[in-house]
Amino acid sequence: MIGVRATWLLTVRALRESLRQPANEVANAFIPLFFYVVTVGAVGSVAREAFGVSDYKGFQLPVAVLQGAAGVASGAGLAMTVDIQSGYFEKLALTSAPRLALALGRILADAVKAVVLAVLILALALLYGSGFETGLPGMAVLLLATFGFALAYSGIGVAIALKTGSPQAAQAGFIIFFPLLFLAPTFAPIEIFATWLEVIARMNPVTYVLVGMRTLVTDGWDWPALLKGGAATAGIGALTLSLTVLALRGRVQQ
Amino acid sequence: MAEAIATQGLTKLFGPDIRAVDGIDLRVEEGQIFGFLGQNGSGKTTTVRMLTTLLRPTAGTARVAGVDVIAQPAEVRRRVGVALQEVGLDELQTGREVLTLQGQLFGLSAKAARERAAELLEVVTLTEAADRPVRGYSGGMKRRLDLACALVNDPRVVFLDEPTTGLDPITRDAVWRYVQELNRERGVTFFLTTQYLEEADRLAHTVAIMDRGKVVAEGSPAELKARIGTDVVALTFAGGELAARAEAALARLEGVQKVLRAETEVAVYLPNGAAAVPAMVRLLDEAGAPAEELVLKQPTLDDVFLQVTGHHLQTGEGAGGAGAAAGTKLAGGAP
Ligand SMILES: Nc1ncnc2c1ncn2[C@@H]1O[C@H](COP(=O)(O)OP(=O)(O)OP(=O)(O)O)[C@@H](O)[C@H]1O
Ligand SMILES: [Mg+2]
Repeated sequence: MIGVRATWLLTVRALRESLRQPANEVANAFIPLFFYVVTVGAVGSVAREAFGVSDYKGFQLPVAVLQGAAGVASGAGLAMTVDIQSGYFEKLALTSAPRLALALGRILADAVKAVVLAVLILALALLYGSGFETGLPGMAVLLLATFGFALAYSGIGVAIALKTGSPQAAQAGFIIFFPLLFLAPTFAPIEIFATWLEVIARMNPVTYVLVGMRTLVTDGWDWPALLKGGAATAGIGALTLSLTVLALRGRVQQ
Repeated sequence: MAEAIATQGLTKLFGPDIRAVDGIDLRVEEGQIFGFLGQNGSGKTTTVRMLTTLLRPTAGTARVAGVDVIAQPAEVRRRVGVALQEVGLDELQTGREVLTLQGQLFGLSAKAARERAAELLEVVTLTEAADRPVRGYSGGMKRRLDLACALVNDPRVVFLDEPTTGLDPITRDAVWRYVQELNRERGVTFFLTTQYLEEADRLAHTVAIMDRGKVVAEGSPAELKARIGTDVVALTFAGGELAARAEAALARLEGVQKVLRAETEVAVYLPNGAAAVPAMVRLLDEAGAPAEELVLKQPTLDDVFLQVTGHHLQTGEGAGGAGAAAGTKLAGGAP
């Protein structure tokens, strides 16, 4: 019980701090929207002839959402290194809060921010003319999936931050993971990929997250795709959460 | 009455060859102010970090507030308050938010935490700055907020690692007054490390002196000083070479029990200091090593320190402050 409350308190604290540094969040929102507009502008008109996608605005919508979530989800790791370097992390570690709550508070705050950003991206995409096959319930599922993905993805940075305490390492970690977002059917359907890229993309869990989200926008309810997406997210989450727990253990009991 | 802190063979190695804390046995009675002294790198902070569950001991056991630090770390944290050597604060929150969050994380309700925060802000005279972000606080203000954080959970045992470093003399006195008040009125046990020997002398019921990871002396300040058993004549010379010559000459003086030298300073231990001073001055003249300064005094904790460790309490770079320098002086304000 105290763990839930502590996590909640630390989430609120992290969100409050984001509001006090709005510049970060503006950059996080700008990048996916920029790529969304530019990609749709560049490829949108030929997408139907080139690879049979009629609603390219819808096709790119989950890409923007995932990109936004990944950008936002790099925040927790960096913020964690600030706490570690300032010594505030130890101050929190000296309270009754379970130590996992110190990490979860940060991660949850990222997920909340990712959902807020996803709502913004969704609204702008719909205004821009994107369709959405599954309607309002589908949008809710999309936001839920964004929440899950951000939770899972944020754990990477937090684990690296806890392990190293270094902002450079936390940043570098993201440079390693960022390509995963593009080794997936990001710009075109997987069917037209070169074989080597298709093989990699099929092994990349992000592919399933992306495809699952995309069916909500462009196809309608496709339960197997959604389940695969959910399973992929859970897989990433299980991995990053385990790493976080391990790193946390190393940090607080040297 | 039970022990607030008890350790047995407490040891911390960093790598195979750094013995930061080397098998110490400490016993701190409940309701005491315990002064933990030692020069830079002697293992004070490492000890505090082990006792407060931030660091896992390499060997040995420790009980704090009646609880084993290895078996029940969470319970230890609930019962103790800690202000570490380095202030650890969140610059983006206000002082009030930091304190309130800290209280809530100790399980206080939102209302109780707010009240506790207001109370402590008053104690550390930060009420006026309470709603400004910590980023804009001065070093002393941050230190005070950090101290307040250590008290938020109404702890039975409080660890303060060099709490007055960086505070001006007035604030330092205020901190010590509050420590004494909590100790007297509420029976709170304090474990404090300090480089200011006069402070330890004035405040602590018991002190322990650490040197290279080991406890080399322990007792009440009065006991330790009495153990020296003599007066002390402290002399300062213009150079190390002069001091060495003086050291050799003074050792021959009748009644002298011990002569110790630290750089340009020489301390002579002898039963009746006042009577010996004229002879001492003559002897130094003959040896061609006139003293720049000569002080006759009762032994201080610094003399104890010198005697048990062979050196003065060296205060390091980071320790800073005019007050810190006073700790290195032999003469240190004795009557
Ligand atoms: N994390 C660490 N890794 C390696 N060595 C360490 C670590 N922490 C402390 N040490 C070493 O352990 C020894 C004791 O350090 P400690 O910080 O406990 O000393 P201290 O008495 O608190 O000194 P000061 O008065 O400067 O604060 C030192 O030699 C220090 O270099
Ligand atoms: Mg220290």
